[in-house]
Amino acid sequence: MAESSAWIIFISAVFATYIWRFAGVMISHRIEANHPIFEWFTCLAYGIIASLVARTLILPSGVLAEVSLWQRLIPMAFAFFGFYLLGKRLWVGIVFGETTFISFFWLSGV
Amino acid sequence: MKDLKTNKQAVFAGIRNAFGIPALLLFSAMTGFGSLAQEQGLSLYISMLSTVLIWGMPGQVVHVELYGLGAPLIAVALGVAGANARFMPMTLSMMPVFADSPHNRKWNYFLAHLISINTWAEMLHRGREIRADRRMAYFLGFSITCMTAGIIGVFQGYMLFESLPEIVSLCLIFLVPIYFGLIMSNTMHPPYLIAFVLGCLLGPPMHLLTPEWGLVLSGIVAGSLAFLLCNRLKNPRTTRRDNG
Repeated sequence: MAESSAWIIFISAVFATYIWRFAGVMISHRIEANHPIFEWFTCLAYGIIASLVARTLILPSGVLAEVSLWQRLIPMAFAFFGFYLLGKRLWVGIVFGETTFISFFWLSGV
Repeated sequence: MKDLKTNKQAVFAGIRNAFGIPALLLFSAMTGFGSLAQEQGLSLYISMLSTVLIWGMPGQVVHVELYGLGAPLIAVALGVAGANARFMPMTLSMMPVFADSPHNRKWNYFLAHLISINTWAEMLHRGREIRADRRMAYFLGFSITCMTAGIIGVFQGYMLFESLPEIVSLCLIFLVPIYFGLIMSNTMHPPYLIAFVLGCLLGPPMHLLTPEWGLVLSGIVAGSLAFLLCNRLKNPRTTRRDNG
């Protein structure tokens, strides 16, 4: 019984996600490709993803909540410095961010 | 990138570009998800299928957490819908990339399923550089590679739960905000940039206000403000020119 209810809940979660993708395709088929709605919705997507990033950093759930706020924010700032000051290379930003993150973790003496 | 003569070449170009940071990111993020799923008592099958069939981390996490709490079906469905609602604007904004592609429009319903922040950003940034008739093949190669990396990540996160040193799992999880923060802020288009900054500012307070729909609400406010701000500045001039 518990097994089948796990599947039912899972399948409803699958549909709760796919319905948005389905709606996106359906609407896109009904309007022209250069309609301003596309730019508006791209703005919405940027806004939602940005909120997601900020929330993960500032109000994380799970293991990330165990390190303090500045231990998350300062490495993030370093990642941005590395990325934007050294030629916008993704791996440079990631190395800067992760190195700072690891150093803080060790310095805080855990 | 331009001379992808056959679909096969385009698929391989997609696979090649996904190998590296995009696949590593999915692998890391899904390792975190796998550990969480194990912790919350979800079966390994459902955890792996979740990556294939839901294919959106925030919704997957909400599903696992609410399932672990024993929440009712309707709460899980609404929670997941809220966490993954971004797929609507993302799908809608990505479809013009495939507008000149010769495939049957029905395929778009399948392509939409493969959209994640990763694959969406890739197609928005790079899609136009690829010949229109090879974009679908490129996208399939790219996103299926990412998905495979994600499934392997879930498996290893589920199996290695607790045996991973804390610092390793922390670094894997921390990779996610760094990566998305960098790729999403890296745009020269003013409305997108403004939407990004406003979204960062509004996200956390809105989350405190309503954990389920905070992301969507702050995204709608930030995105619409950015869009209106940038188009208001242009529009008065154009309308006046039309009238005169």
